[in-house]
Amino acid sequence: MTRVGRIERAKRRMIQEAVADNLDTIRGGPPRVLRPARRAGRLWLRRSALLLVPLTLAGSSYLVTNTSQSNAAPVLASPRVRASILALPAAEGTTTPNVERVTAAAFPLAVRRIVLDAGHGGVDPGAIAPELIEKNITLDIGRRLRMLLEARGFEVLVTRGDDRTVALRERAKLANESKSDIFVSIHVNAITKHTESRGVETYYLGPTNDQRLTELAAAENRVSGYSMADMRRLLDGVYADARRDESQQLATLVQKELHGTLRRSDAGLENWGVKRAPFIVLVATDMPAILAEVGCLSNEHDAAMLRSEEYRQKIADALSNGIESYARANTGP
Amino acid sequence: MASKDQLHVGIDLGTSRSAISASNGERFLVDSYVGWPVDMVAKKVLKRDVLIGHEAVANRTMLDLHRPLERGLLKEGSEKDVEAVRELLKHLLRLVGVGTNGRVSASNVRAVVGVPAASLRTNKQYLRNAMKGIVDSLLIVTEPFAVAYGLDALLHTLIIDIGAGTTDFCVMKGRYPTDEDQKTLTIAGDSVDTHLLKLIEERYPEANVTLYMVRDWKERYSFVGDAPSPVVVTAPVKGVPTELDITNEMRAACETLLPPVVETMLDLIARVEPEFQERVRNNIILSGGGGLIRNLAHALERALKSVGGGRVRYMEDPVFIGSDGGLALAIDAPEGDWEKLSA
Repeated sequence: MTRVGRIERAKRRMIQEAVADNLDTIRGGPPRVLRPARRAGRLWLRRSALLLVPLTLAGSSYLVTNTSQSNAAPVLASPRVRASILALPAAEGTTTPNVERVTAAAFPLAVRRIVLDAGHGGVDPGAIAPELIEKNITLDIGRRLRMLLEARGFEVLVTRGDDRTVALRERAKLANESKSDIFVSIHVNAITKHTESRGVETYYLGPTNDQRLTELAAAENRVSGYSMADMRRLLDGVYADARRDESQQLATLVQKELHGTLRRSDAGLENWGVKRAPFIVLVATDMPAILAEVGCLSNEHDAAMLRSEEYRQKIADALSNGIESYARANTGP
Repeated sequence: MASKDQLHVGIDLGTSRSAISASNGERFLVDSYVGWPVDMVAKKVLKRDVLIGHEAVANRTMLDLHRPLERGLLKEGSEKDVEAVRELLKHLLRLVGVGTNGRVSASNVRAVVGVPAASLRTNKQYLRNAMKGIVDSLLIVTEPFAVAYGLDALLHTLIIDIGAGTTDFCVMKGRYPTDEDQKTLTIAGDSVDTHLLKLIEERYPEANVTLYMVRDWKERYSFVGDAPSPVVVTAPVKGVPTELDITNEMRAACETLLPPVVETMLDLIARVEPEFQERVRNNIILSGGGGLIRNLAHALERALKSVGGGRVRYMEDPVFIGSDGGLALAIDAPEGDWEKLSA
């Protein structure tokens, strides 16, 4: 067969496949790539989930019992495992007599490995103010925080140690592959429409209806590197109770320290509290994760404070104290 | 195959611009904006019920303006946006002679429409519903596949289609692409615009700059790497037209595309069978409006050096590659298949 003939045959085959795909859409069938082997696989997975629920609950119960009755070294479960255990939906018709819903706090956890994520970097400067660029501030605070945490005995990994571009996807990948216990992302706000505003806020993952937060998340998610398909997959797997609860707890403790410490230097600093927003680094990480907005570059006063090394050190101190509070609260006796 | 009574069209329904190529030789590019006069006064001034494309943007202060596609997809749940898409499609078809002076009726139109690679089945169904009554038959394909088909680049080729709402990737392996062969990033022209506007506002806080102005500047001056020439634009500062040098801002905004595009490109190449990877590396095609960013092909080639080098081709007329490919598909599709695909 000639080359032209082969091309024409390949084209005909592709058109047939495209038409078949469209007919599936019209009939409302599953995507062709999921048929038939994958569909069978998914069916098996769905059925196996029904078996996993009682097994998992029994396992959870065993862990709780052992922990409460023994003075031996605490049983450690990685946040990822705990999240997957706790996120399993109760199957219809499954009864769980004498088994209370297990909360995250039931599992003693030593926070040992921490990933620090200095926001932005490289070609992505983040917010900009005169003589100040967000990527440089976050890197500086990240370095200070790393020293503090290491001095307290934590193992610290950083998503970037210098001024380089790192896609959000890579940041999450590092945290997940290193099996870290918590993820802390450091950012600086800029609210150009309200330059009089200055405050600190801490986020954990969750949906939001707030337009400002949606815009903020869109800005921080800019260099995500995730495809729409990836995002669908990620979002399918988030908002699981355990990781969200732990992230909220971590965010609460960090925010308390952050505002409590910084307002001593800046009495007018507002406490914008703990909030939920769909930042990609929070979506894609497997462990409790927060994003702290430690200042507001669009506000002249706050920008002046952030120029001071002393103030940046205080931010690092506050973050470190918040993280340690969380680690203590989640470590067994 | 095509009969003389039928009009075949390929449509690239884009977030920012939509292109149509028809079998009668007509080709048009339209801004994907639709606007309705906000009140009777506006209607009296504009003397029209609906405005589309550049006209809609130019008269936006008097219009309820809609950009009905988001990330290359029809926005779900908004009846006004569905109506806007229908108006946009009818407008595109009118431009190529459908329904005007009785030349071609909608019942004789067979259309191929390109959508982002990662579109869900529901997105396609939604589009299909929106096109009911506008064309006779409809075939929906992924945009990069339409590009590849139009270029006969069906084997060992990587298409990178950078639009406004999405950047689509597709490795052609001599078959209709599966999910594994394709990727869609939501970092594309729009995210560059938003970033560029932010950078300009930060550097020139007193300048009065809109997203429309920024989009126009980007389309004229975008580049990565070394600046071909300084980018100096004019915008009002306290009402006074003032020249602003935005060279660095333009570079920084355009270069936000590079990390995710490079990463996805290398990721897709790595998934190709090892013996064919070199051929794919040397057959990379840039299409879509993003293909017009100066030095982009060179920057991607530089990134390919880390995996043995490669060649990135920049196609002339990149904004029509998708619609031309759709037209080629429409003409090649057998009569029997079209009968199954009535809209």
